Amino acid sequence: MNAPALKADTTTDRHPLAGHGMSGAEVIVQVLADEGVDVLFGYSGGAILPVYDAVFRHNAMQARADGHGEAMHEAMRLVVPANEQGAGFMAAGYARASGKVGVAIVTSGPGATNMVTPVRDSMADSIPLVVICGQVGTAAIGSDAFQEAPVSNIMGACAKHVFLVTDAAQLEATVRTAFTLARSGRPGPVVVDVPKDVQNTALSFRGAGELALAGYRTRLRAVEQATLGDADCAALFDALMQAKRPLIYAGGGVIAAEAADALRGFVDAFGLPVATTLMGLGGFDSTDPLALHLLGMHGTAYANYAVEDCDFVLALGARFDDRVAGVPEKFAPRAKFIAQVDIDPAEIGKVKRVGWHHVGPLRQALERLTAWGRAHGLQPQLAAWHAHVAELKRAHPMDYDRTSALVQPYAVIEAINRHTRGRAIVSTGVGQHQMWAAQYFDFRAPRHWLTSGSMGTMGFGLPAAIGAQFAQPRKLVIDVDGDASIRMNLGELETVTTYGLPIKVVVLNNVGDGMVRQWQKLYFKGRFAASDKSLHKKDFVLAAQADGFGWARRLQRVDELEPVIAEFLAFDGPAFLEVMIDPDAGVYPMVGPGASYAQMITGDFIASRAAPATDEDATSHMF
Amino acid sequence: MHHTLSILLQNEAGALVRVAGLFAARGYNIDTLNVAPTHDPAVSRLTLSLQCDDAALGQILQQTRKLVDVLQVAHPATALAA
Repeated sequence: MNAPALKADTTTDRHPLAGHGMSGAEVIVQVLADEGVDVLFGYSGGAILPVYDAVFRHNAMQARADGHGEAMHEAMRLVVPANEQGAGFMAAGYARASGKVGVAIVTSGPGATNMVTPVRDSMADSIPLVVICGQVGTAAIGSDAFQEAPVSNIMGACAKHVFLVTDAAQLEATVRTAFTLARSGRPGPVVVDVPKDVQNTALSFRGAGELALAGYRTRLRAVEQATLGDADCAALFDALMQAKRPLIYAGGGVIAAEAADALRGFVDAFGLPVATTLMGLGGFDSTDPLALHLLGMHGTAYANYAVEDCDFVLALGARFDDRVAGVPEKFAPRAKFIAQVDIDPAEIGKVKRVGWHHVGPLRQALERLTAWGRAHGLQPQLAAWHAHVAELKRAHPMDYDRTSALVQPYAVIEAINRHTRGRAIVSTGVGQHQMWAAQYFDFRAPRHWLTSGSMGTMGFGLPAAIGAQFAQPRKLVIDVDGDASIRMNLGELETVTTYGLPIKVVVLNNVGDGMVRQWQKLYFKGRFAASDKSLHKKDFVLAAQADGFGWARRLQRVDELEPVIAEFLAFDGPAFLEVMIDPDAGVYPMVGPGASYAQMITGDFIASRAAPATDEDATSHMF
Repeated sequence: MHHTLSILLQNEAGALVRVAGLFAARGYNIDTLNVAPTHDPAVSRLTLSLQCDDAALGQILQQTRKLVDVLQVAHPATALAA
């Protein structure tokens, strides 16, 4: 036993298990328990068997300690997907819906490589995950062993960080540090690759201690302790008080930083309208008169026109992504002043030069600015701008063909929204249905909107909904999916029923890759290469029934919409609804690749301010 | 423009790959690269040179500082000029 370590641990908050002998696998599970992990998502396999066995024994021991004869309620529930990618998106859905770190555990080789997509997806959307991968024994690493993959190389390129634990003595501190890394600063996924012999090594549990990571921690401290001085506040308010048409551009950072209340407070104090990114939906109540809802490529016309018209932009936890600022120099072209607050110094000025910035925690920054502005009696006079914004919302509302004999996807979302009113957790796949959901749902609070924003991973919706339901067992969780997206992880339908989750799955079926078709119509003269699925044989309703859904229906008629949606949402248990939608329904508005907001196409049912320029033959290398 | 960066790195498995991978993934071509231990065997010094404009340089400095193994990133020319 390590005497100095024991001595250091003889404090009042000494871990009750400090000094106990444990295997590496038991150490991993104990650290997970200490971190408050109550559900794991993962798939077993040869190189991770010791950890799965340790989870089993941990749960059995906890059940005995709680006085249960049998494991009625498992301390650390283990949720098994159909494919490891599903486990990764479940962990991500859990993290997005709860704000806690999602945990996935997979085996070496294919288990780990199937996890690459969720890891990259979580990195791109700044979602905290800890992924534990089994690895072949240290002696076999590099020998092309069975189920070996160079996980630290592969994951190093797409995770926030990856550890390969070759020294068992570092295992405990490494797993604990992984949680700190995942949730601190700009959150992200952290991968811990653990060779099987390290899982089997006899260790003494310390109960405390993390890796030093001097560089990371120094930089983190600087960012976390950064505060806005009087001069900083004065500079921002000088510009704001001169502005006549100021606008807030709020991104996913508002959600990640738990800053929605602080944003509300700032808007209440100074009256700036708020446009929200896809990742920022829920960061500001979309039903508020000052809410402009979504901006960007498929933003509302009124949000995008407001961006065109504004003379001041305050970017909060947003990064001028190409879906918002496709042509950075044409974004907010009349803005005389752009300010940016972000937790990541690399995002300041990355895409768009800004005149004022602050790198630090968003919630504290907004609270400080609100207090400073109030203390100095600053009140921007925005009545004319508010009237302008209200007129934009009145003149350019979201709309569609309400007389069509075909079921319109927008009507389906509106019908669901009449029941949920922003209180359900909604996950999506990627494509047209994702944009319709983003446009037509109300978003009242953070962590109710789970979508693969940056990576745009089809197949995200169903596993993310499963993870979210574990995070929020009492909430209504709805997966709004597309026929092509849900196919990608269709195996997880069975996971829904295996765990008896009352998830509502609605598939907007337009018989193909709708968003791809939309682009092919616009830019490839209607040649639908590989995007039409009318010859596919899948019967989704039968598939759902085969996987044990007690309620599974297909909706094809407009007059059935309201009663069927009501019955679907009211069903007490897993329910599956396939809606055969108008296959020609498009996503509007659309700011095409390489276009400015002024060139936005609004379609046939949303009023445009100007006839869009037609350059149908233009071949853009933008994407 | 030609730039030389001096990076102090924790001597961890895969740390060099992550620096080189970051440059490759973000489209910066490394002209020369030298890695050597420092007086602290747990720390290596990585000296690399590349061609890029000033805006790209600022971004690559910031992105390199996000690597968890990186202790310090210096651009000696800027330091001398300042």
